[in-house]
Amino acid sequence: MNCTRRNFLIGASSTLFFSGFYPKISFANIEKKNLIIISLRGGMDGLTAVPVIGDKRLKKLRKQLILENTLKLNSDFALHPKLEIFHKLWEEDKAAFVHATNIPYTGRSHFDGQNLMETGAHTPYQEKTGWLGRGLLASEIIGKGLAISLPMPLLLRGVPQNNNFFPSPDYVQTKLIDAIHNEFSGDHNELIKSTLSTIKKRPLSMQIATNSQDRNNLAREAAKQLKDPNGPRVAVFELDGFDTHTAQGGNNGAHADELEEVNNIVKILYKNLGSSFDNTLILTLTEFGRTIKQNGGFGTEHGYGSAILMAGGLLKKSQVYTDWPGLKKKNLFEGRDLNSTIDARAVYNSAMSICFNKDPEFLKREVFWGDDLPDLTQDLFKI
Amino acid sequence: MALNFYRRVAFGLSPNETEPSDPLDWALDQLNSVPDFLWPGSIPTEKEMRKKYGEWVYGDREVIRKKYKNDINAYEKAKEELRIKTGERFFELNEHAIRHYQTKNSQQPVFERFWLFWGNHFAISEKDFLAEFSTGPYQREIIRPNMVKTFEDMVQSVTTSWCMIHHLDNSQSVGPNSKSKQWNPRDTINENHARELLELHTVSPSAGYTQEDVIQLAYIMTGWSQKYTKKGLETGDVWFDQDRHQTGEKKVLGVKYKNDAKRELPRVIHDLATHPVCIKFVSTKLCRHFITDDPTEEMVRPVIDVWNKYDGNLIEIQKEVVRQAYKYRDLTYKFQVPEVWLMQLSKIFDLNIPLIPSRMNYDFKTKPSHSQRRLSWWLHEIGHSPYRPKQPNGWSDFEVDWVSPELLLRRLWFSSNILPKMIKSKNYNHDFTLECLKKNFDDYERMSLLIKNFNSDTKLKEESDMISKYGIICNLPGVLKA
Repeated sequence: MNCTRRNFLIGASSTLFFSGFYPKISFANIEKKNLIIISLRGGMDGLTAVPVIGDKRLKKLRKQLILENTLKLNSDFALHPKLEIFHKLWEEDKAAFVHATNIPYTGRSHFDGQNLMETGAHTPYQEKTGWLGRGLLASEIIGKGLAISLPMPLLLRGVPQNNNFFPSPDYVQTKLIDAIHNEFSGDHNELIKSTLSTIKKRPLSMQIATNSQDRNNLAREAAKQLKDPNGPRVAVFELDGFDTHTAQGGNNGAHADELEEVNNIVKILYKNLGSSFDNTLILTLTEFGRTIKQNGGFGTEHGYGSAILMAGGLLKKSQVYTDWPGLKKKNLFEGRDLNSTIDARAVYNSAMSICFNKDPEFLKREVFWGDDLPDLTQDLFKI
Repeated sequence: MALNFYRRVAFGLSPNETEPSDPLDWALDQLNSVPDFLWPGSIPTEKEMRKKYGEWVYGDREVIRKKYKNDINAYEKAKEELRIKTGERFFELNEHAIRHYQTKNSQQPVFERFWLFWGNHFAISEKDFLAEFSTGPYQREIIRPNMVKTFEDMVQSVTTSWCMIHHLDNSQSVGPNSKSKQWNPRDTINENHARELLELHTVSPSAGYTQEDVIQLAYIMTGWSQKYTKKGLETGDVWFDQDRHQTGEKKVLGVKYKNDAKRELPRVIHDLATHPVCIKFVSTKLCRHFITDDPTEEMVRPVIDVWNKYDGNLIEIQKEVVRQAYKYRDLTYKFQVPEVWLMQLSKIFDLNIPLIPSRMNYDFKTKPSHSQRRLSWWLHEIGHSPYRPKQPNGWSDFEVDWVSPELLLRRLWFSSNILPKMIKSKNYNHDFTLECLKKNFDDYERMSLLIKNFNSDTKLKEESDMISKYGIICNLPGVLKA
């Protein structure tokens, strides 16, 4: 591929960093829109997920990580073969990618990075709530968050009454739940009472579920809930294991396995959401990308720029949206990492704007302290 | 009657304990000294465990990663073998057993509750292999002995401990005008530890410090690092490396610190640990833990006064917290976090937890057994693996963070599916249950009525009856709260 940074403003012509008018949304008869975030912990390698085609430098620096039979997206980018559902959806304008993007964090600590990808802040551990939680609260959408994890992820915190689903090793008898619920009826503790009510209202499938190791089942159940017009509007999935310092592999290997997991979740959501998939956005989130160059263990180190994988019917079209910085040494961040030319938070802010029916400027102020995040709604999503 | 007090500041009363005649004296007397560890099994030292940590990271990073770089399967296999050989799979399980055994059997359970509090105030979050090798020993050797000293002593010890230095990256912090910086121009300060020392450990954001204060404190802290060796990697002792230290005068929260190498840190810690905002912040946190989520000025004030009067002496401070907890025992309630709840059930019903010490012995040849792993597994499943908080601010003390559908269901799961199997066979009867309830809960009559009704309603066989009985009891409002 022979492209420089400037001629690569794909798809968006002049609107990339330029927000036009935002149409006023009518709040009557708005169909429920779902926003699903999949956290990819450990640092997802954007160049493995969405490799750039024919870059000699990449081939030279990653001799043991070469991908074969990639799925072609356009003349410049391809897709890792394990991400086949994204390729299928791409054909239907229901998958897209933002490349050379990251949260504005250039340190290389997982812990700081993961904290910042969830809080959306600049200083690690400064904020105790997540951008998604704050977005829901600002949009006055209460009790509509569903986490597919045991603790409530930081990402969703900041808004009350979230639900979570991560079944225990064995199910709990309904009569026990009923009995405890009764005992709390006279108690002053509103929080526990309402949480027990949430538990009681769970559909049978959720009640009898066991084994949180079965990720497919978790995803199926999430899809079922999201499909329900009165169900959650936001779901958060958690995946870890992207920190592949060793034997990262190409088509197969540690990173490929993780991408397969992402693919699997999206596939199950697509299959089970049915027509609700058209009113859904799925976005991935990671703390940083990985170094261009493989290390001595045929893995990669912590880097900077990565990619956001997106799926769902609310996408504008299939595209690789990027302001490609190039992979020449002088283009790399600190001479080693893919640069980030798009603040990932602009993508998330715009996605919330679409799914929560709120003006992006408003959300930016409420959620991201008015940081300079361009409105990407018209470029990326169906308005 | 105020039986909840025994759970409010401790773990309740066990079946063979008699109720103290004066609950307040009973509690206050427990804070004067550091009780020994009672666990008869292995209690490795922090230093030994650092050596093990070194064997594990060196073996992985420097040996097998390189050896098996072309073969992920062979690498995974070698890594698993190394985990077993170095105890990477085992030591955290053993730490959980030591901790649980101590809270259950200690003659000073009130002290143990404070031990859990301070360990969480100066939390080590899940990072690298700290939970596997270091966090437990840190809790035992750094936190615990300082509980009869001053708060300032505690902060000094914690700040220069290997575990905290590693946790908050201070070894990577290099002064911009230091010698080291000239050799490695890319080195720079790492503000992480300085920020947490201010924000979490001492003055809290309400002190109104600025980013410049954080940077200046980070400068003072430069040089405090782990001694790095080729074989031991980062597992050497903590020392002060003048070559990494930022020289020159520093200024934190308006106070100037003259260029004085390793003596700068104790001075700034003294000022932070005795700062009025720090005293208020930590006193409030203590009251939150032992009295209520939102302690009033009225509750916190006496603790602050004692703090000032006794110059931060932790024995006196803790005693005042206990007095306030006693005073407000009927007027407030406190939601019990999952680990403490489990410890309380284990003591109140004299459960077979933890595993007996002889069965906790480990041969470093095979994976730890199912029964060796089970306590840690339960803690994980109820959402409160104590040495693995996700962030350096530790586990939350607010009820709201512990009430989610799954977290409540996990408690129901534990108390109905697991707990009945942990009851000693001699205690497997209705009368025993009633006696335990009578000893620990003011409304035991209502509780016994409830389980009696439940019993006669269902007419199920004994085992199923136990499941229902304990499933109910352990999750009643007065049991989740104290």
